Amino acid sequence: MRTHKLCMLGDFGVGKTSLVARFVRRTFSEKYLTTVGVKVDSKEVALPDREPLKLVVWDIAGRGTLDAPGANYLRGASALLMVADGTREASLAAALELLEQARRDLPDVAAALAVNKLDLVERWEVTAATLSDLRRELPVFETSALSGDGVEAAFAELAARLAT
Amino acid sequence: MMPELPPVAESWLRDTLLRRAHPLLLSFDAGWCLRDVHGDAAFHGFDSGDAGRALRELQDLFIGLPLDGHQELPFIELSNGRSAHVHLIADPPGFHVLLLDAEEERVQQRAQQQLGNEAVLAGHEKSKAIGRLQEIRNELERQRASLEEANALKNALIATLSHDFRTPLTSIFGYLHLLEGPAADAARARQALGAIRRNATYLFTLAENLLEYGRGEAGALLNPGVLSVDALARDIDDMFRPLAEDKRLAFEVGVERDDGSVVPLFDEVRVRQVAVNLLSNAVRYTAQGTVSARFAWRGGRLRIEIADTGIGISPEFRERVFKPFNRGGQAGSKGAGLGLSIVRRLVEQMGGTLALDSAPGRGTRFTIDLPPLASLPAPAGLDPAATPWKKDFDVLVVDDDPDVAQLLEALLLDLGFRVRVAGDANAAVAEVMRRPPDLLLIDVEMPGLSGNAAVFRLRSNGYRGRIVTLSATSTGEARDASLRAGADYYLTKPLNLDQFVGVVQRATASPVGA
Ligand SMILES: Nc1nc2c(ncn2[C@@H]2O[C@H](COP(=O)(O)OP(=O)(O)OP(=O)(O)O)[C@@H](O)[C@H]2O)c(=O)[nH]1
Ligand SMILES: [Mg+2]
Repeated sequence: MRTHKLCMLGDFGVGKTSLVARFVRRTFSEKYLTTVGVKVDSKEVALPDREPLKLVVWDIAGRGTLDAPGANYLRGASALLMVADGTREASLAAALELLEQARRDLPDVAAALAVNKLDLVERWEVTAATLSDLRRELPVFETSALSGDGVEAAFAELAARLAT
Repeated sequence: MMPELPPVAESWLRDTLLRRAHPLLLSFDAGWCLRDVHGDAAFHGFDSGDAGRALRELQDLFIGLPLDGHQELPFIELSNGRSAHVHLIADPPGFHVLLLDAEEERVQQRAQQQLGNEAVLAGHEKSKAIGRLQEIRNELERQRASLEEANALKNALIATLSHDFRTPLTSIFGYLHLLEGPAADAARARQALGAIRRNATYLFTLAENLLEYGRGEAGALLNPGVLSVDALARDIDDMFRPLAEDKRLAFEVGVERDDGSVVPLFDEVRVRQVAVNLLSNAVRYTAQGTVSARFAWRGGRLRIEIADTGIGISPEFRERVFKPFNRGGQAGSKGAGLGLSIVRRLVEQMGGTLALDSAPGRGTRFTIDLPPLASLPAPAGLDPAATPWKKDFDVLVVDDDPDVAQLLEALLLDLGFRVRVAGDANAAVAEVMRRPPDLLLIDVEMPGLSGNAAVFRLRSNGYRGRIVTLSATSTGEARDASLRAGADYYLTKPLNLDQFVGVVQRATASPVGA
């Protein structure tokens, strides 16, 4: 089976660990336990009309910018799931900044953006108009690790891009 | 380089480091085939039970990385839940992977990082809360001010009303008395009837204005319909010509139009109210000369011009005349002073503009320009009673309660729409993306994806149609949240049917994307 390395990248507290927990184990925890270093998980993804593939998901500790240890973790990645928290506008800027930095080392990486915590949409600072514009540059998903909305779709999009 | 240590210290150091790090060295050939193992395999989850899986995980760590150079991956948590520093040591033709336990270090680092991150997150929440408090304070302040103003207005209203109603009534009773008297010749009778009519018309306008005033700024739903300018002009003529003639004023009503290809829709009652108010002022404040009304209908817009040769309004009173109960501008005038404030409000509600042109002693001209609230295509064979929206207007109703969905569907079908129904937000998003409706009516509180989340998602995906959200929560906050998510209108349940129909009319009358 083809195996690909996918890195979760975004500011701290945006829900990277929670999205992976939802995607891989179908669980969610309210409690915030920050990630130190990396947690590595894997999951097989079925694709329509294609061989399934295996995603090795690197859940990297959140930072607003890409430092040397962060860049070290990214080596060998073929996909990035950028994560922002809809209730914090600044985390979206951070995700875009991180993507730009990561692309310098990984020019051909497949990338998508998950704007997380959709269940809190009433408190979002990020606007629909902003995301509507961003969609021209990369696939954007509104997700909720809590309810599961959009999570599968975000990973599936990256898997589909990797398969082609 | 560390100098030679005394053997006892050297061995102590070695034991300590080994005890802390639980090193495990796995030796592989170039194809990841395990050749040799040194160290604490069980500690790192490489004991017999699930060794195969642990080895696969290890191999996955090095996807995309060269195996012929040294690599270091600090703080890697694998599925056994413990954190390790993972090193790859090249040793051609194979390599070794060295694992050093990092759990203790991680616990310490996590405690620190957790504090720092939580402080930043709390700071963000705090500044949001402060902003919100500020908003609430401003809102309270605004409400207090408007309550004060309302109270002052109420007092002024009562004071002026007792005067305003009594004057025309006194005059009506006086003339009635005169008519009943024995010596009423035909000429006097005609004059008396004229005066009665004038005063009754005035009372009528006054009563209409009071109703409008009581309705307030909010709750004003426009009611677009086909407006017959000719009928309006006729009514105006019937109503005001006798009053003007009584005062020996010339009275002119004109209609001008181009026959466009669309039929613009206006709120007839409001247009009439505007014209009646302006004319009743014009006739009242003009002692000689001419009063004229002109309705011009061009390019779908309606222009109303009411002009007189009366006392005029001096520049310093231009603004004030539009405030309720202010009538300093028209010297010696009587009247509740609601007329112009209501005219302005109505014009604004209809999205129009109002211009005032006046010279004291020479006269006043009001020019109102109204955009259509909507328009119908093709005037051919138009049925004025027809619904003011396109016949095939497509509506998607989304509610998890089938009874509510059915009720809404029936209502909308009655109104002449085409209706689709979805039972949850995800289905709704899929349905809209498949074929965007002209109007989406969606419940906010649904299990799973909320209505607001669906609305947000649709807007961020570029859906431009009208959206009305329905909710059981009637707080301003809930309303704002829904509008922020991208709804155009917010209605609360239980539904007020008039309001529902009004909102649907407004939503469907305003051009999409406006
Ligand atoms: N309401 C809601 N809360 C969420 C969601 N996703 C994550 N959270 C909460 O947000 C907090 C942070 O989530 P994590 O998944 O630990 O965030 P992270 O991006 O991994 O953070 P770091 O590891 O510090 O970089 C936790 O309290 C989660 O419960 C979501 O979709 N909805
Ligand atoms: Mg995390």
